[in-house]
Amino acid sequence: MDLQLKGLKAAVTGGTRGIGHSILQLLADEGCDVSTCGRAPERVAAVRTLLAGKGVRSHAETVQGRDGDSVRQWMRNSVDALGGLDIFVASLSAGGGTDEERYWYRNFEIDLMSAIRGVEEALPALRRSEQASILILGTMAASETFVAPMAYNAIKAALITWSKQLSQQLAPEGIRVNCLSPGPTMFKGSNWEMIRVARSRIYDNAIRQQPTRRMGTAEEIAKAAVFLASPAASWCNGSHLLVDGGYSKRVPF
Amino acid sequence: MTIERIKPGDFTRTPAGPAPRPDYDHAMIPKERYVSADYMRLEWERMWTKVWLLGCRMDDIPDPGDYHVTTIGKEEIILVRQQDGSVRGFYNVCLHRGNRIMVGEGNATSFKCQYHFWEYGLDGDFVNIPDLETFPQGAPPCRGLRPVRCDTWNSFVWFSLDPEAPPLLDYLDPLQEHLEPYHFERMVKVADMTVEWDCNWKASVDAFNESYHVQGIHPELLYFIEDKDVQIDCYGRHNRYLVPFSTISHRVEETTEIPHLIKHAMKEAGMDPADFDGRVTEVRKALQAWKRKHGPEMGLDYSDLNDDQLTDDYHYNIFPNLTLNTHADDLMLFRQRPHPSDPNKMFFDLLIFKLLKQDEPVPKKPRHEQFRHGEKSLGLVLDQDAYNLPGVQAGMNSDSFKGLWIGDQELRIRHFHHVLESYVGS
Repeated sequence: MDLQLKGLKAAVTGGTRGIGHSILQLLADEGCDVSTCGRAPERVAAVRTLLAGKGVRSHAETVQGRDGDSVRQWMRNSVDALGGLDIFVASLSAGGGTDEERYWYRNFEIDLMSAIRGVEEALPALRRSEQASILILGTMAASETFVAPMAYNAIKAALITWSKQLSQQLAPEGIRVNCLSPGPTMFKGSNWEMIRVARSRIYDNAIRQQPTRRMGTAEEIAKAAVFLASPAASWCNGSHLLVDGGYSKRVPF
Repeated sequence: MTIERIKPGDFTRTPAGPAPRPDYDHAMIPKERYVSADYMRLEWERMWTKVWLLGCRMDDIPDPGDYHVTTIGKEEIILVRQQDGSVRGFYNVCLHRGNRIMVGEGNATSFKCQYHFWEYGLDGDFVNIPDLETFPQGAPPCRGLRPVRCDTWNSFVWFSLDPEAPPLLDYLDPLQEHLEPYHFERMVKVADMTVEWDCNWKASVDAFNESYHVQGIHPELLYFIEDKDVQIDCYGRHNRYLVPFSTISHRVEETTEIPHLIKHAMKEAGMDPADFDGRVTEVRKALQAWKRKHGPEMGLDYSDLNDDQLTDDYHYNIFPNLTLNTHADDLMLFRQRPHPSDPNKMFFDLLIFKLLKQDEPVPKKPRHEQFRHGEKSLGLVLDQDAYNLPGVQAGMNSDSFKGLWIGDQELRIRHFHHVLESYVGS
């Protein structure tokens, strides 16, 4: 199956590590010009080098996800650097955190608002695209009781709700909006890698819920994500795809 | 990832730079030192009876007549506050028939043996021997209880069984300069336990004198400390290493989420991890700056400590048997005491002292508890060490095991053995 991605232009937040990084790489491998941003300067530099070797046009910036202006500026710079935009993948996340009230603000700014700000800045370019699509990364933890009540789970739920309603608004303009919710995902430097070592009981509880007794890989999430964002998923709009290896037990009729 | 440490010229009162590295060979350390009853006897005669040992805290015996009985090997020592405020020490042995006189801790006007009521003053001198006229030979020719050398330093009472021992401060040199900036006298005792462990006391000392075991025994600490980029310094009898805390080991990848132990350290200092926008590897320096700035308003005086001391573990071994996990806000002190006769057993004393924040209620002084390994938790990390040590001791007793094969990360163990050899012989 041809994903028809060659020559398209894609921007991915949080593409310097983890799921975002795998999505970014796969898009580049499929022939997209790509742009991304992340917090750590040396990771941004490493991504630049990696993308330079893929023979596509690319752009990468150091961005603090809580800083709305810098997220907006990155998106404008991305559109300029790539010469337009067809695909926006909002993958940036602050991750989990319990107890402190300030996590609500943190996840609000980094998970929710970075996506909303990115979309707002991307829209003029997406409207000019023939293959426009937006992919929002949610989480299985938004629709499944998971670890502990926390801002991450609930703010991601807000993001999922928003993405669905956005799909209705933008469909007439030829812009598809979809959402993908990964389950627990393991990769080098993932929070789960830390939890497995540092809080093994939480890890053990999570892995017991996986029918295959393993977590997903970032590549497995990326393959589903890139499909959903690609023109090959032209009739997917407003869909919410759970990619969790069977972690969640409910039947979503 | 490189750990950023304070540099020459930065404020410090505790010497922070690296000491000259001793040029030791790499010989195997004979296992007999850990398992042999003969070696244990030599160790007692040549080492335990020659060194300075920690007895109790000065505030364990604040008022005249307050006493504390401490044990080392087969000996018990009464440490007692005198009327003039000084502290003296005596063997806890009645000169009549050898009975133990005092137990534990308390206040006394005299020390009275409960066997035949021989009575001694707080200064150890005979006060009363009932029916003295029935001893034709008179009272024993000494004045009373046999004295033990005693001194005080840095909130602790010390004693030596050797009347010829060098002065305490000479013995501790150069740690006076290292440890006084922590002001242990401002800290209050919050834990006081003794656990019987089935291992030689040195196996326990060794377990805390290297961070090489963190990956195996304490994997969760890989997300709280740097375990390999550790500065090791050997000084005369004593040694230390400086372990960066509130950071992650070079053995693991940096995560986006701040590991929970680092979050805990931040929260303890009043720093909200949810508002920290830096990376995990940036927390340590940020926390140092935060504590420097906000410590005083929390009533925490860090003015004599350098920046690294605000987060890190300055970890000292005071020869032979004291392990001091020294931190800005607390002192976690381990004292390893030998069993009186069995080289395969020891007593592990855990004492924790804490710097109180402004208006923090002074906790009730903990009652000393003694128990067997496994009967009660010492907290996750110490439980992990404790769980492992009987296996180490059992393995050392195997005919197949000849001695300890020590690497550079375990330099403190080698240094410790050189000091031990200087007392006991090789």
